[in-house]
Amino acid sequence: MIVHPSPSASQTSLSDPPPPAPPVPLRIYEGLASWQALRARRWYAVMGAMTLLTCGAIVFCLQFGAHALTMAELWSALTFSTTGSEDVPRVIIWDIRFPRILMGLFVGASLAITGAALQALVRNPLADPYVLGISSGAALGATIGLALGLGAIVGGFGLPLFAFIGGGLSIVLVYSIAASQGQLPMHQLLLAGVIVNAVCSALMMFATSILNPASLYRVVLWLMGTLSVPSIPALIGIGACLLIAIVLLLRESQALNLLAVGEDAARSLGVDSNRVQRTVFLVSAVLTGAVVSVSGMIGFVGMVVPHLVRILCGADHRLLLPVSALGGGILLMVADTVARTVVAPAEIPVGVITALIGGPFFIYLLMTRKYRFFA
Amino acid sequence: MSQQASVNAVVSPLPAFEVRQLSFRYDSVHCRPSSDRTAWVINEMEFTVRQGEIVGVIGPNGSGKSSLLKLLAKLVRPQEGAIHLFGSDLGTLSRESISRQVAYMPQDLSYDFPFSVLDMVLMGRFPHRRGGLWSLVGWEQQEDLAVAEEAMVQTDVRHLANRMITTLSAGERQRVLLARALAQAPRVLMLDEPTAHLDLNHQLDVCRILQQVHAQLQMTVLLVSHDINLASQYCDRILVMKQGTMVCIGPPQEVIHPQVLTEVYGCQVLVDEHPDTRLPRVSLPSQDRHQTVGISGML
Repeated sequence: MIVHPSPSASQTSLSDPPPPAPPVPLRIYEGLASWQALRARRWYAVMGAMTLLTCGAIVFCLQFGAHALTMAELWSALTFSTTGSEDVPRVIIWDIRFPRILMGLFVGASLAITGAALQALVRNPLADPYVLGISSGAALGATIGLALGLGAIVGGFGLPLFAFIGGGLSIVLVYSIAASQGQLPMHQLLLAGVIVNAVCSALMMFATSILNPASLYRVVLWLMGTLSVPSIPALIGIGACLLIAIVLLLRESQALNLLAVGEDAARSLGVDSNRVQRTVFLVSAVLTGAVVSVSGMIGFVGMVVPHLVRILCGADHRLLLPVSALGGGILLMVADTVARTVVAPAEIPVGVITALIGGPFFIYLLMTRKYRFFA
Repeated sequence: MSQQASVNAVVSPLPAFEVRQLSFRYDSVHCRPSSDRTAWVINEMEFTVRQGEIVGVIGPNGSGKSSLLKLLAKLVRPQEGAIHLFGSDLGTLSRESISRQVAYMPQDLSYDFPFSVLDMVLMGRFPHRRGGLWSLVGWEQQEDLAVAEEAMVQTDVRHLANRMITTLSAGERQRVLLARALAQAPRVLMLDEPTAHLDLNHQLDVCRILQQVHAQLQMTVLLVSHDINLASQYCDRILVMKQGTMVCIGPPQEVIHPQVLTEVYGCQVLVDEHPDTRLPRVSLPSQDRHQTVGISGML
């Protein structure tokens, strides 16, 4: 209209065109610029606070269990100020509780960070490795490995390997069910995940009816989701996977921001959506496989934690992903501490606790208008 | 072209888009033979978008308007034909270089995630990021922020910078998206139904912003719209589509014609002049004068 000279000069006065925009004063940039510096500073502040909180939670969890320790006992054990290998608190803390708590941290962090990344990728706040069927696929894979007696292959990493294959296959299955004509409708992906989840769980329950009692116990624990005292190699393995996953996902965090808003828009802004999809799905399959082989299917952590973090810190994945990881770790550590304390010396499967926290929270999310579902 | 060049000497002779023999269909396993041209979403289209003009794309539902925009943004690739963006073949341009030149504002976006308005607008700086190998999360630079802020001022969303996108009205969201597209600092702005679901006031807002940035930045604007009147008022030229083919392209005075619209939409329309601008205005006839072509054809 501006370039076009026609149709008449009177048009300018009559169609009420915009007055020429006033020159933008440069001063106002300062406000936002300092705020942006604040944003980066806020990142470090929040991460620092979360790290401190995590350390606090570890100490808290060390203290409780079947045998509650006094602060004095805890302190002396932590500082190695007592001597002798028969020192009970020291054995409890360093040989039993600490590895288990660390495992809880890793498992919770893995679930939460994959949940956060998957939610952005699928553009649906309900996604997590459990809902998308990755967890149950991994558990089924591990069950098959166990049933075939192949747990000891690959230097004892047979079960995680089977779990990874199971999780990977299930996500490929979910993906190919949902994908049609080169498009990936996200609600269909979620639906396919729910179905694969149900089928895999059914197959595992079928396996419980034909397995020998020793294996049966393990499979039932996988179905329920439970933590136990891990072996050191397992701990190191999961820790290493988690670290690599965090780095890979953080490098895609801006792309995830864009994808969370819309795939076409993200691609038009230069996001390689296929690469991000591959990265997130692969990371999810590996992490979930590793996690499920040691702890079974723990639901809700992956879904609930990212929501909590979003409410507190906003949706920017550069902050959301690492804070979710630490938050998920804290949640699972504390839930596991509750699980091994309330009915001590027996234990509740930690999946029960997380579901009891997650279920009501899920309902709360559905009933508030904070988020819109399937709008 | 010569007319335009005389109006504005800085306009380069290279057209923003040059589309030749463009054909496209969505890949499907149940493909009909390629000789069956009805399966094609875009069918042998050929047109040119000059630099610095506002072109509106109109046509009935399913006529391929949105697909055309996606083709021009290289979100999908054509099976046949070629698109040239400022003289270079779109097929050989890298995703990054296209993203720095073309901003695409789609129709359907998800607002489930509580991003702040500033977050959203800064996303437009993604194609201009300078992330090193070791930058883990990659924060925006001061320069990105300045560009984002200018875009927010232009679209009048500066005061919303801290608000969550989930809490905004549809009109405000559309302005935020416009700010995001402007933050991209593109040469071409492509919009898919920018005024859909907006009330009159917000429609006017969006159109004014478009006119403003077009005037200030010499931006080429390509917009898909169902609102023929809006297109008529604000576009330099209008491209009319029907079933994946181009019916005609030209200034509103030539294209917004009862014959053309009846042929394309299949119903009778009245075209008169806008009382202010003298540009063509379309309205539907009242019930007693209503005759659809389909019914009269059957009779």
